[in-house]
Amino acid sequence: MSAAPGRPKQARTAGEAEGTPVSAARQPEDTPVASTTNVETGSMGRVAYARIAPNEDLVQGVEKLCLAEGFQHAFVRGALGSLVDACVGTLDGGRQYIRGPAVEIVSLAGEVRLQADGSLSAALSGVVADPQGCIFGGPFVAGANPICMTFEVTLEEWLPAPSP
Amino acid sequence: MQRSALAGPRPRTLVHPGPFNPVRIRSMCSPRSRHIRLSLQPGLSLFDALVQPLAALGIRNASTTILGGGFAQLDYCVAPADPSRAAVVAYSRPICAGRTWMVFGNATLGKGLDGSPLVHCHAAIRTEDGALRGGHIVPSTSRIGDTPIPVLVTSLDGFELRVAYDAETNIALLQPCEETP
Repeated sequence: MSAAPGRPKQARTAGEAEGTPVSAARQPEDTPVASTTNVETGSMGRVAYARIAPNEDLVQGVEKLCLAEGFQHAFVRGALGSLVDACVGTLDGGRQYIRGPAVEIVSLAGEVRLQADGSLSAALSGVVADPQGCIFGGPFVAGANPICMTFEVTLEEWLPAPSP
Repeated sequence: MQRSALAGPRPRTLVHPGPFNPVRIRSMCSPRSRHIRLSLQPGLSLFDALVQPLAALGIRNASTTILGGGFAQLDYCVAPADPSRAAVVAYSRPICAGRTWMVFGNATLGKGLDGSPLVHCHAAIRTEDGALRGGHIVPSTSRIGDTPIPVLVTSLDGFELRVAYDAETNIALLQPCEETP
């Protein structure tokens, strides 16, 4: 998913990028691919729940939660909360803005992946409801979705099986 | 709402009524979780359909994904600006959506201020006239329809989720905490 042009990168974790299986479909265009595979076996590890505070960015907040807990890969297993305003990507590469406050997050799915350059990247897709209850959806644009009151998220760590 | 190819409004930083809390991400972690497939039973409130079977398994803290299904009755709230300014936004009075299809929902199970079970649920719904809506679902007055609704439960063990007053936003919020007996 490349819905986040020009996004800042998280601090590199030295020595973690080599040989990490990464799906080609999830690679931002400017990121070198360590390896490509369509099927990745693995298992679920730890589970973390967080409350992320107001004015923090939704996408980068989830990445920072992974930094806080030491997760390299994770799946979102539950998420709800509110945004000041929402910003989702469109098929033509544009952005759709949904004005709040508050814009409620009513559905969210996604994952966090360790990138070949050592950064962490969350790709989150979901549905939001505006202050009238009308709903919109798409990929959340990193840096453009500040949390309004609270964001509750449960992440389950994904542990890819070592490459043969 | 507005749409633009490139430029758009920059993200807004809102000013909340209380003091800024330097802790921005409050998280807790457990080594493993239990996964359960639960069927929400027809006729029960969303609250009872979630809380009772999980309590029987000893699960009092969980994240759940409601995989979609019919409700005989569903009430939801939206969150516009709070006219009293006590908080940045406040939930509206419940909107009665009547018979509804829940497209997808997430519900968190934790404890309320008094220690009793609490369900916090947000969902997208399709109303009887075909409109798509979404918001904060009222679990105690929303009732499961004729067909059981599947739910994937991820238990949170070793810590608990409790509603606690949050001074910054001036509302009570679910927060992860150490377990209490």
